Amino acid sequence: MKFDTVIIGGGLSGMIAGITLQKAGQRTAIISTGQNALHFFSGSFESMQEPEQRVLDLFAEAGVRLHYTPGVRLMPLGTFKESALSLEDVDLFPTPAFAKKVLIVNFTGYHDFFSSFLAEGLEKQGMSCRVRFLNLPEMERFEQSPSEMRSVQIARTMDRVWEKVVQEVRVLLKDEDTVILPQVFGLQDTSVPGRIRQNIPARVIFAGTLPPSVPGLRTQILLKQRYQLLGGTYLMGDEVVRAHTHRGVVHSVATKNLDNHYVEADSFILSTGSFFSKGLVSNPFEVFEPIFGLDVEFKEDRNEWYNPAFKEDQPYMHFGVKADANLHALKDGKPLKNLYVAGSVLGDNCPEFGTAAGKAIRTALHAVDQILKK
Amino acid sequence: MKLQEYTESKHNFEECMKCTVCTAYCPVLQANPLYPGPKQAGPDGERLRLKDPYFFNQALKYCLNCKRCEVACPSGVNVADLIQSARIKYDHTPPKLRDRILASTDFMGKLARPFAPIVNGVTSLGITKTVLDATLKIDHHRTFPKYSGMGFESWLKLHRKEQAEFPEQVAYFHGCYVNYNYPQLGKDLVKVLNALGVGVQLLEKEKCCGIALITNGMSAEARKHAVHNIGQLRQAVVDKGLKVLTTSSTCALTMRDEYPNLLGVDNADVRESLLLATRFIYEKLEKGAQLKFKPGYHKKIAYHTPCHLEKMGWGIFSQKLLQMIPGVEFTLLDTNCCGISGTYGFKKENYEVSQAIGEALFTQIRAVNPEVVACDCETCKWQIEMSTGYTVMNPISILAEAIE
Amino acid sequence: MNANEFDVIIIGGGITGAGTQRDCAMRGLRTLLIERSDIATGATGRNHGLLHSGARYAVNDAESAEECIKENMILRRIAAHCIDETDGLFITLPEDDLGYQQTFVDACRHAGISAEIIDPELARRLEPSVNPDLIGAVRVPDGSVDPFRLCAANMLDAKLHGGQVRLHTEVTGFIKEGDTIKGVHTRNRQTGEECDYYAPVTVNACGIWGQHIAEMAGVKVGMFPAKGALLIFAHRVNNLVINRCRKPSNADILVPGDTVCVIGTTSTRIPFEECDHVAVTPDEVTLLITEGAKLAPSLSSTRILRAYAGVRPLVSADDDPSGRNISRGIVCLDHETRDGLKGFITITGGKLMTYRLMAEIATDAVCRKLAVQKACQTADIPLPGSEEKSYEAVAQKIWEAPTTAQKAAASRMGTSAARIRTGNKRDDALICECEEVSVGEINAAIDRLEVSTLTDLRRRTRVGMGTCQGEFCACRAAGLLAKAHGCVESERTDLEDFLQERWKGNFPIGWGDTLREAEYTQWVYKHVLGL
Repeated sequence: MKFDTVIIGGGLSGMIAGITLQKAGQRTAIISTGQNALHFFSGSFESMQEPEQRVLDLFAEAGVRLHYTPGVRLMPLGTFKESALSLEDVDLFPTPAFAKKVLIVNFTGYHDFFSSFLAEGLEKQGMSCRVRFLNLPEMERFEQSPSEMRSVQIARTMDRVWEKVVQEVRVLLKDEDTVILPQVFGLQDTSVPGRIRQNIPARVIFAGTLPPSVPGLRTQILLKQRYQLLGGTYLMGDEVVRAHTHRGVVHSVATKNLDNHYVEADSFILSTGSFFSKGLVSNPFEVFEPIFGLDVEFKEDRNEWYNPAFKEDQPYMHFGVKADANLHALKDGKPLKNLYVAGSVLGDNCPEFGTAAGKAIRTALHAVDQILKK
Repeated sequence: MKLQEYTESKHNFEECMKCTVCTAYCPVLQANPLYPGPKQAGPDGERLRLKDPYFFNQALKYCLNCKRCEVACPSGVNVADLIQSARIKYDHTPPKLRDRILASTDFMGKLARPFAPIVNGVTSLGITKTVLDATLKIDHHRTFPKYSGMGFESWLKLHRKEQAEFPEQVAYFHGCYVNYNYPQLGKDLVKVLNALGVGVQLLEKEKCCGIALITNGMSAEARKHAVHNIGQLRQAVVDKGLKVLTTSSTCALTMRDEYPNLLGVDNADVRESLLLATRFIYEKLEKGAQLKFKPGYHKKIAYHTPCHLEKMGWGIFSQKLLQMIPGVEFTLLDTNCCGISGTYGFKKENYEVSQAIGEALFTQIRAVNPEVVACDCETCKWQIEMSTGYTVMNPISILAEAIE
Repeated sequence: MNANEFDVIIIGGGITGAGTQRDCAMRGLRTLLIERSDIATGATGRNHGLLHSGARYAVNDAESAEECIKENMILRRIAAHCIDETDGLFITLPEDDLGYQQTFVDACRHAGISAEIIDPELARRLEPSVNPDLIGAVRVPDGSVDPFRLCAANMLDAKLHGGQVRLHTEVTGFIKEGDTIKGVHTRNRQTGEECDYYAPVTVNACGIWGQHIAEMAGVKVGMFPAKGALLIFAHRVNNLVINRCRKPSNADILVPGDTVCVIGTTSTRIPFEECDHVAVTPDEVTLLITEGAKLAPSLSSTRILRAYAGVRPLVSADDDPSGRNISRGIVCLDHETRDGLKGFITITGGKLMTYRLMAEIATDAVCRKLAVQKACQTADIPLPGSEEKSYEAVAQKIWEAPTTAQKAAASRMGTSAARIRTGNKRDDALICECEEVSVGEINAAIDRLEVSTLTDLRRRTRVGMGTCQGEFCACRAAGLLAKAHGCVESERTDLEDFLQERWKGNFPIGWGDTLREAEYTQWVYKHVLGL
């Protein structure tokens, strides 16, 4: 099978690259070993400066509504984190003291939403809080399963019964100016968070839960749909096992599912992520990149991989594949002409592209720009 | 290997990061709260089962074996295999008579075929369905597939000589459905392959691939089928140098993956030569072979990827093949399980869950309103036809219809 | 008697202290247990979890061996729900001396330990993970024991007999009147609260810290900290204990326990200052994996869960203050006869296995001082939870058709699992999915077993002991604890401490899947939850 560009790794970087290339008229394929880190996406992109218009457009065209409001965001454990760009159902505030009286509503028996931590965190900021629990009959089915009172399962039910939640909240509401609900709304029906807000006479904030993240899952579904609508081929649940490279040019890759039916392309993008998604692999002796054997920046002495304090920054999370200024992958010190690297697999390399989500997006677009220039 | 250079575990269960992504994609969890979910049934449960088989949970029987958990897993854990292996290893409940009947497709096929018109007439009667529901707990909503009077094998044997004359040869594993219920699909495949200059042979003797035997607690029986079938494949692949094609996505997955992973039957020497027919044909066309299409052919098609094909990653071949037909208005349906999962959905206790699982797919089909739904799996076909009334055709049949 | 007065104060919440409290309480004494941290945080919680048959000592220390096998049999009776009767193998590898096997077997039999020479082929069938190259095998009645469960059950029984417990409470000094210890000054490490307690007898059951406590009381007990490092593998590789049939050496025991298995151990002298901060070194890790792979080759490609180390309380023989003559046997010192200090006893040395005997000896000494004449019943009366041996029978009785989580609860709590059958479905919800620990089980632990922190909870219920090492369950459990204690602020710190403890054990083996899991945990706590 032949494509113009093959993208290995279907996370944020990979999908941004895929969507942009498809829009520019290329035929592309994304090969992904399973679902990606967007499932743990908190709903706001960290450390992003003002994003380029084309980034905002890309998301908007996919149905992912973002807003750019530098400030702080309320975290599930009642703390605040700086952020700037987030999904429309994730609020960002100028300061942590964003309300006076808050009603926090949770479902009885839902342990993945931390109402007591939220209350304590908000009270520390001078707000007064009341915590109440809902007992909807529709939630009873989850009580039959010891392990499935979880965000995504609840969200699927909420798509149908959110109006009941609104009714109950309206009854519970006294003189609070703000209501906080768990982020379990708007999985398939993206209009639900907005409609909840319209129907509750107070500001409504959706605070996060333990993974899987409902907004993350929704974003993933929308981006993938957009990519496929533009004609992209998404090979889900497949893994690149071998690459065929000759004189610095990658000709094709072999995957686990397609075995000897090689996938050929003019250009390749490696956006396979970090250790979690096996973009980087470690053993007691080394860290390596498993598909192409690219050069990896890591510490030789394994003791230097870790900071013994969990809270502190961890060195191993900065390891990554080396690339040149134009994101060509480096192997034995030499750049591969048609293999670009994007996203967290770069680690701290190519720091000019920023960090975290900003880097994921910027490197993806830079790689795309390089490819389209040719 | 240096110590700890890499780690291994059965079906990779130790690579599980407990990320819970599999639970977000399991179709059963959305419909049946009694099912512990792929994470609990698979990697979580495995650690407990290793301590004591007593910790095996009977509720694992609600697993559809759709493999969607595996497709979703970012860590490469073979969650579904882990669950099915646990059922095979630890569940010693003898299968009910009903399950034996549903799983013994060869046997039932051979019995029914000589009396096909009578059998077909009787099974479509409301009273029969009521009786079967009450006695064997086969849900009365289910329509039994019709049996064909003449099996596919018999038909192909009649054409053996002319098939042998084609310059290129392939073997065809037709499976139970084509042989007993719908030989037309086999005939359609022969037509398309012949148009490409490829002649079709039978294997010496097939047995049912055995998927229903595996999931219904008859793994010893399934293993016998596996050993037999791999022997047959070896004769074709190793001895005669032939590729072996199948038109059923589940037969393909079962023989390629379930045989080694669940039944411990090695197939390394034949696995890559066992192909879904759509892949074989697509690869031929990609390399320059040509088919003559009927001028003015037009069809609005909605393609449904069967779960097992989604797992194999070969849906792309069927999709691209259909899109190569001029005049085809093609829609790729969202990837959703139809809910029947072979014999699973025929069982009364599973009926409602089956239908709840398939609802999203049925709704989308109605919204797209195609002329035909294309799908490579026969049980998906039954489910979609029973639940929506839309006709379902295998891509090969559509191709056969579209060429001169 | 006022509220702060007791018949006996026991310092040290390890298995020795808890066992002693139980025995004293069962003999009708008013008891108080004081522990600076949580139960089983010393050597008790940092060993193999091996229920010795004693075979390991048979050749060189017959007395120890005899003690072991007797206690082994007793514990099977009285601590059934804490014990896994796995049996054990002593294997001879090609590089070992097969001649040693006969010496070994003779010594075992002499000590009353059943030792059966079996064919290597049978050994391979009984234990498929064993090194297939073995040339000899002996079957012995080894088993595995959960030391946390055992300790908690002893403490619970003491409480049921009227005993009191002060955990997270440090002894800061002794109340002395002339040459008599009358009581202790204490400080609660969590609240800072200071309190004095009084008793005519105080027992020093502090393991390696016993030297420090004795010094505080004004007497000298020479001890030698010997650090031992161990590794826990992510799943249970073997079902029988596997030992090396040779002179005891490093890393030659592989013990299955619950859902994991443990390889150990090493022996290194360390200074006292290090006792509170023992860490596993890279060399120790390499040694443990290398030697472990000789017992079960699959260990070289099995995911490692965590690394930990403990300090053995070795006592120097009394007439040798320089410590050359170190004893592993039970040491009970009546400081009145030894040092002229009244009202103070030290009980130390020994093993996890022989704790009950140690407790009996200590309690006998206490009773002598108090002129109390009551017989010891700890060998006859089962610990709470251990009244029924088979957890299958327990689960069946309580639930008829138990779910996996309920079965798991029965295997951990024994008959006490009846307490979690509340009829409220919400109590069946799982907090820890890796180990299948429910809300009910956690509430039962909070209720009766003196839980203040997540780490305490982890010891008693296995929350956070699975492969995710608390990734999700830690915050869920933190929510439950915050509710139970009515304090969220401290729970936040508790959550951080818990994660730090887990990380401490993960980074020494931080590669492969363990590193992936660690990265995921960092991501979840810092970026998703906002810790």
